[in-house]
Amino acid sequence: MRRKGLFLICALVASALSAGAYAQSEMRFCLSSQPKTFNPLAVDDDASETIRYLTGGVLIRLDRNTQQPVGELATAWRINKAGDAISFTLRPNVRFSDGTPFSATDVAFTVERLMDPDLHSPTGDSFRSTPGKVATKITDPYHLTITFPGPVIGLDRLFDQVAIISAQSPQKYMAVLGPYYVADNKAGSTLLLKRNPNYWKHDSAGRQLPYIDSIRLDIQQNRDRELLRLTRGEIDLVNSLNAESFDLLKGQAPSMAFDAGVSLDSEQIWFNQVPTSPLPDYKKAWFTSTHFRRAVSSAIHRDDIARLVFHGYAQPAVSLISPANKIWFNQKLKPHAYDVKLALRELELDGFRLQGDTLRDRTGHAVEFSVITNAGNKDRERMASVIQQDLRAIGIRLNIVTLDFPSLIERITRSFNYESCLLGFVNDELDPNAQMSVWLSSADNHQWNPNQKQPATAWETEIDRLMREQASSLDPAKRKRDIDRVQQLVWEQEPFIYLVNKHALSAVSPNLRNAHPVGLRPQVYWNIEQLAFATQPRRPQ
Amino acid sequence: MKRLRRAALAFLAIVVLASLLAGVFAPASYDFQFREVSNAACSTHHWLGTDALGRDRFSRLLFGTRVSLLLAPAAALISTLLAALIGGVAGYIGGKVQRTLMAATDLSMAMPWMFLLITVRAMLPLNTGPAASVVITFAVLGLLGWPAAARVVCADARRLIESDFILHARAAGCSEACIFRRQFLPNLRPVLMAQFWISIPVFILAEANLGILGLGVAEPLPSWGGLLQELQGLAATSGRPWQFAPILLLIATVSCFHLAIERKESEA
Amino acid sequence: MSAAPLLSLQISAGYAGRNEVLRDLSLDVEHGEILGLVGQSGCGKSTLALAIPRLLHMKNGTVRGGIRFNGRDLMGLRKSEMRKVRGKSIALVLQSPIASLNPALRICAQLEESWLAHCSGSSLECRRAIGTALENVSLDASRETLQKYPSELSVGQAQRVLIAMAVLHKPLLLIADEPTSALDAVTQSEVLELFSTLNRRFGMAILYISHDLRSVAAISSRIVAMADGRLTETADPERWLGQGTQSQALLAQR
Repeated sequence: MRRKGLFLICALVASALSAGAYAQSEMRFCLSSQPKTFNPLAVDDDASETIRYLTGGVLIRLDRNTQQPVGELATAWRINKAGDAISFTLRPNVRFSDGTPFSATDVAFTVERLMDPDLHSPTGDSFRSTPGKVATKITDPYHLTITFPGPVIGLDRLFDQVAIISAQSPQKYMAVLGPYYVADNKAGSTLLLKRNPNYWKHDSAGRQLPYIDSIRLDIQQNRDRELLRLTRGEIDLVNSLNAESFDLLKGQAPSMAFDAGVSLDSEQIWFNQVPTSPLPDYKKAWFTSTHFRRAVSSAIHRDDIARLVFHGYAQPAVSLISPANKIWFNQKLKPHAYDVKLALRELELDGFRLQGDTLRDRTGHAVEFSVITNAGNKDRERMASVIQQDLRAIGIRLNIVTLDFPSLIERITRSFNYESCLLGFVNDELDPNAQMSVWLSSADNHQWNPNQKQPATAWETEIDRLMREQASSLDPAKRKRDIDRVQQLVWEQEPFIYLVNKHALSAVSPNLRNAHPVGLRPQVYWNIEQLAFATQPRRPQ
Repeated sequence: MKRLRRAALAFLAIVVLASLLAGVFAPASYDFQFREVSNAACSTHHWLGTDALGRDRFSRLLFGTRVSLLLAPAAALISTLLAALIGGVAGYIGGKVQRTLMAATDLSMAMPWMFLLITVRAMLPLNTGPAASVVITFAVLGLLGWPAAARVVCADARRLIESDFILHARAAGCSEACIFRRQFLPNLRPVLMAQFWISIPVFILAEANLGILGLGVAEPLPSWGGLLQELQGLAATSGRPWQFAPILLLIATVSCFHLAIERKESEA
Repeated sequence: MSAAPLLSLQISAGYAGRNEVLRDLSLDVEHGEILGLVGQSGCGKSTLALAIPRLLHMKNGTVRGGIRFNGRDLMGLRKSEMRKVRGKSIALVLQSPIASLNPALRICAQLEESWLAHCSGSSLECRRAIGTALENVSLDASRETLQKYPSELSVGQAQRVLIAMAVLHKPLLLIADEPTSALDAVTQSEVLELFSTLNRRFGMAILYISHDLRSVAAISSRIVAMADGRLTETADPERWLGQGTQSQALLAQR
């Protein structure tokens, strides 16, 4: 017993000594999975994206707060009139984390690698509007021009995703230009990032950024446990909280809860309008009827969804662009109001009639359909339950089916054996041009009726035309008009019945200074280099 | 001890009765959303408060109990009958038949049943009503639940076949049919009864687990699994102790089942 | 009485994967005699008891050789014919009386099943036969006793029920394998007495198997000793007591 006590004292002394010796500041938070790659050009998952944001140096950064592009490694840039070329003036005297100097050669090398068809870079895809080769011309070590085969929409903003890699460094893409570099990687458990000693940015007082010396990222899948670790002081921030956890946190530790307002993400329900789907013809007739879709939309009480399911941390959605998108949202549109009378009127226009408490179509079929959603998502199941009761008021029976994700995807992308689907779309891009793959009727992700050879309806023809026109126009005012019109059409036709836009909710340790979480990813640490600790955090062992 | 068992049986009787008469006792429908009073605390209107969508928790608990307590014994019956058939035949015949059947049993125990259940659920027609889907869920649970019981039954059957009294019956010249009918089956009954009683709580919990995966009983029908699902994660720290009523009832009921089983076993 | 013995066998027997338990053992049982068979536990006595009615396969054992019983070769009989011999002509009483009774059936039901195995007749005949059998083993045939389950009987009562079952069809040979080992001293002597009586009354031959020389000597007209799967000695009971034989060692153990 006595020996044990002695050992304990020794351990305490040792830990006190090590704590004293360790004066470096370390921030900690969690990733939901191991990053699939550290190659910034091949990023395709959230965890890799986080690493890219924390370590990558970019020419132009999209300021997550003002939503405007600002120069980083580029001190100036210019897009030509045709919109197919961009010239950069680079920041001089910048070195990679390993000491290799940075110059126009590295930018040219990065672009060349990015556009390499063998890499299949998702980031590269956004530059590929027209087939052909990309040409780079280096005028001097700090000036270059990149020319694309055709005009690229929002060209400067796209460079936010392009972390520059070194053409010469023996460390290859592990040599970085961002505020941190990857110092240690224990696959599946922990990642350690250390401050880049060569980072070029300084604060107004001349002190080199970032303020925090290192970042420890723990792989933690369970979101509940993640929040628990925050309240215990083991980690310093949690991004993208769900409303229920946020509400709880707000009750327990209000100083930690940050509501950055409406995000770009949306939740929506849509009907299967695929003509070759295995559904009976009378159901296909319902789902392709605009009156039917508008009736369902008007019968849904979006305010109740926001209030009950999201505890008020969501707001009724309008159309494809979230009100959080300051530039592109169509201010003239309002969310569809909850209006049962309007819903019934719309249904009458299409020959539906209410018999007792059952709605029947022209041919006498009782209106009953199923909605599929992914199993295990409490918010979606609750939304479906609210909609279930709302639709009962207009005599429609809704069956809720929760499926595991693979079978859900199988149904909505291959077998088309479903009636309606409730899912959310995560959106990172402000520019609606990124949504081309959803809105073109020939596209894969045109969920309600993908891969059409000819647009099935007049309004889809119109949306196709508008999306193509905005994509080839360099006049911002014209593009805004086109996108406004698309929002109007989607609002009227409701191929997607938009339900709510969720708020961007996060939790931040009160010890962390300069934190201003925003709606755009990466919410809390978008200004990572500005973050600092008020006092050295004491971690429970 | 005897008094305790009697109390357990009385408790089970009350729970079964209350859930059977849920339509009479429940103050509200199990799926009506009182949207103005969501997440309410206990009150005279809502004895156990309301859930996130404003549904009366007490009514949902009553109806959920009905679903779980009626269907779990049904599933137990299916799996026990299958176990009796497979384990009984294997044990009775013995030799190669036994080895083959038990190998098959082990194989089924090693199968990824959760995956199979998910697949079966995914293959159901989409417009299966909540009532039909809950029956199917339990039927599938019952159809998949036999292997462990079959092993036990087989071991017991083997013990019977090698017992002195069956040897003695053979020595007395009894025919095979007589041995099967009068010697074998009546003595297999206690183990079958025990397996039946044991598997009821197992199926209640299995459905609860499926519910936690979001694959149990479809909304808006409540079941214990569905009710427990709400307690997942941080709700535990929410400061609404009445939310734990379903867990308490589940624990109480399962414990009472176990007490009842002990009684049955001591009788046998 | 014919000159040929009632039972005459020469067999080897064993269990799968083990050495043979009975090695070319030959044994004769005369009509109406009580043959005592002694031997230490594990010498193969029980194997022999099961081998004669050809039940050894139930314990995963096999038998080779010949068993002549009452002029027939038992080894050559078909299953259905063999079943007719068991219980009818050769009866078996086993070591542990309680375990030999079916715990799930009432006593009367078990007796009925034994009777029905070889007779078909009215329930009245059946009840009469059972009554007689119980009378023969000095067990009262009251409703109360008959309605009991085996677990409600004493060991002695259970053994009497088993003997009643055995004598139900007045067999030519009764094989008793350690029938008294589970009984207390008083009950033991009562059961031994019962065997002698039955032997005298029905002329029923008894193969009495035991490790207890005293009880064997008390009722047997002839004794054989067994060791390592073979017969070692054959003698009259009187001769045993004075000689320094293996059997003396058995006595000393008690």
